[in-house]
Amino acid sequence: MKNTTLLFFIFISIVSFAQLPKGFSAMKDTTAFKQKMEAQSKLTNTMESDFTQEKYLSVMSENIVSKGHFCFKKTNMLRWEYTTPYTYLIAINKDKMFIKDNGKVNKYDINSNKMFKSINEMMVATVQGNLLNSKDYKAKYYESEKYYLIELTPVQKAAKDFLKNILLFISKTDYSVEKVKMVEPSDDYTSIDFTNRKTNQPIADEKFTVK
Amino acid sequence: MRNLLLSSLLALTLYACTFGHYGRLKPNAKSWVTPPSSIFGDNFNSFLFKTNISVYGRDFSGLLVTKQMSPKDYRVIFTTELGMKLFDFEFRDTSFTLHYCVPQFNKPKLLNTIREDIGILLMNDLKDKKADLFLDAKNQHDVYRVQDGKMFNYYFKEKSTDQLVKIEHSKKHVKKIIFTLNNYENGFPTNILIKHYNIKLKIELNLLKK
Repeated sequence: MKNTTLLFFIFISIVSFAQLPKGFSAMKDTTAFKQKMEAQSKLTNTMESDFTQEKYLSVMSENIVSKGHFCFKKTNMLRWEYTTPYTYLIAINKDKMFIKDNGKVNKYDINSNKMFKSINEMMVATVQGNLLNSKDYKAKYYESEKYYLIELTPVQKAAKDFLKNILLFISKTDYSVEKVKMVEPSDDYTSIDFTNRKTNQPIADEKFTVK
Repeated sequence: MRNLLLSSLLALTLYACTFGHYGRLKPNAKSWVTPPSSIFGDNFNSFLFKTNISVYGRDFSGLLVTKQMSPKDYRVIFTTELGMKLFDFEFRDTSFTLHYCVPQFNKPKLLNTIREDIGILLMNDLKDKKADLFLDAKNQHDVYRVQDGKMFNYYFKEKSTDQLVKIEHSKKHVKKIIFTLNNYENGFPTNILIKHYNIKLKIELNLLKK
């Protein structure tokens, strides 16, 4: 009996260990981390950055790589623009959403469409890193030498159908989100790396309206 | 008399619309020939397209990837520009597998139509079929006609370039879907337009990477 219990604990620790991302261990002080993130978010009024998005599909030999630039301004203004290998732009301006594709602009009322509302919430929260306060996700906290890592698992069934989890890699030096990885139930994923980040530089409101 | 004239005119117009197009095709002496080979080739390549779907005034856009997995097996995946997978199809020989589809896209009519369109474009089922060969003298096209269930697919090859420039999916000489293959670069069309004539559906594929 004693042996069975011991074996069970060894098994559980192996399983738990296997679930931890490589090079990461459980975060020691989650309260301090959350406070720092919140403080950092309060101090950030504008943010812009280049991004590289990679789509991994298990059946493909190469990832689909697209690049672009994003701008964020408080409150609730976001411009997310792909520049290569195609052009595609999503701009969110409070309760309006613009999509420019193929030279054509479509304007939507975010509140009129559940999907747009959740895209908006997810994009804004992702760049700000405040998805951790959302009731729609269960969070697990890890850290390595360079990063904090938050693993967010959706709670609602509708989201679980297309999303296994979201991994946010946050810099230990300035608490900015450096990488986001969205994993699908099939383990295919989309990862986004942010580079050349600038914070609190003036960005004109016009950037968030598309004509 | 007036009614007769009107009916005759109407009949003539309908005839011209439906049969006129195929009426000018002259059967070639060589019949029962091998149909054209797939534009996607047989080298297990993958192709990436920026894709726009317009259905009854609603627009969807995203990235469509095709990959030949084995000689008669193609995988076709459609994702949004932001990376969210919308559907994952597999065409193996004559069978079809839906590996994944987001609930918002899982409308049987729409899904079956897109599946049929992609299936025709892949030309995967042509490998074991034979075609009737015609000549469109006006446009200098060799036209291959292949039976597809109760329908016919007409493959138009430009005589001067030997490139496949059009596929028509028709029933009793009435065009149902037209695929136009444009702007060939290195032997592959960089723009493909799929237009339906019985429903308001248009799909445009622009090649990003081969």
